[in-house]
Amino acid sequence: MNNFSELEGELKKLRPARVSAELVSRIERALADAGQAADNIILTESRPSGSDFRISWLGLGLGLAAAATFLILARVDSRPGDKTKQTTLASAAPTLEQKAAALPNYQPTGLTQVVYGRHDEGLVFPRGATGPSRRVWTAKRETLRWRDRETGAQLSVSYPAEEVTLIPVSGQ
Amino acid sequence: MENAVTHEDWKVCFSELAPGLVLFARQWVRSAADAEDVVQEAFVRFWRRNLSIKNRALLYAAVRSAALDLIRRDNRRARREVEVFADAERTVQPQFEQLDDSQRELVAALDRLPRDQREVLVMKIWNELTFAEIGEALGISQNTAASRYRYGLENLKKTLRPNDQADAAASASIL
Repeated sequence: MNNFSELEGELKKLRPARVSAELVSRIERALADAGQAADNIILTESRPSGSDFRISWLGLGLGLAAAATFLILARVDSRPGDKTKQTTLASAAPTLEQKAAALPNYQPTGLTQVVYGRHDEGLVFPRGATGPSRRVWTAKRETLRWRDRETGAQLSVSYPAEEVTLIPVSGQ
Repeated sequence: MENAVTHEDWKVCFSELAPGLVLFARQWVRSAADAEDVVQEAFVRFWRRNLSIKNRALLYAAVRSAALDLIRRDNRRARREVEVFADAERTVQPQFEQLDDSQRELVAALDRLPRDQREVLVMKIWNELTFAEIGEALGISQNTAASRYRYGLENLKKTLRPNDQADAAASASIL
């Protein structure tokens, strides 16, 4: 038993004044507003927006991964082509459709190819072909753009590409 | 749904703690209206940060922080509150219900206590915080909180019953 128990008892008899009814309703409103504000933040984050550009890191990552995968797995198509049709022997770039398939929510919106090098390697006689073809090597930079249908986010991937094309020639 | 439950929990919590919180806030601001503003801000801030309502030490720390923020927001108010701290005895008065004469004397004595002792008393007596919680809220050790509490009670006793001290001294000298 301490020396202050009597004094503590007297102090405890004092009752703090009640808070105003207005304060209770103010707190209630403030909590509701705060909850609404939190909901709004969440809604804003998930609301599709066509005008606001936001980087979708997931989309960007997927896009880069898809592009890198296709670059690595690009294979040489050595089949002879039609006489009247250009044949791409080798390409170090995926097609637009192939890339878009890896991003189901993204819609391809554009492809820009800037050719910065072209070299005619002369006439070649592909195996199984009926005539000669001109082999042309092309170096270019491709820029692919996608747009997310839901959020409006845009994704752009740019990479260097090389292509070897056989152009059938007719002899005279 | 989860928000609604949480909201209800907070309403219940607030109705239980509000009088003590406002009393606590009154130590830094002079008017009841300011104290209620402080409590509202602290309570909403606390709720937004999704802190546990069981952590009363943090809640009282939030009230204290909100009170100090209120003071800092207005330089004129800050100057006035500095004066209040310097002259706390006459200006800061915790609000209690239905006081009789002896209780008014007790409240007046409480108001004359140094601020650090008074805030510990308010937290301990009317908010029923443990010394550990008080220490956490004020950023002091549990022992310091207990010491301030004891000094506060001693000072109150001296203020209220000065004759007891004199009588005791007289008795000691006679013996």
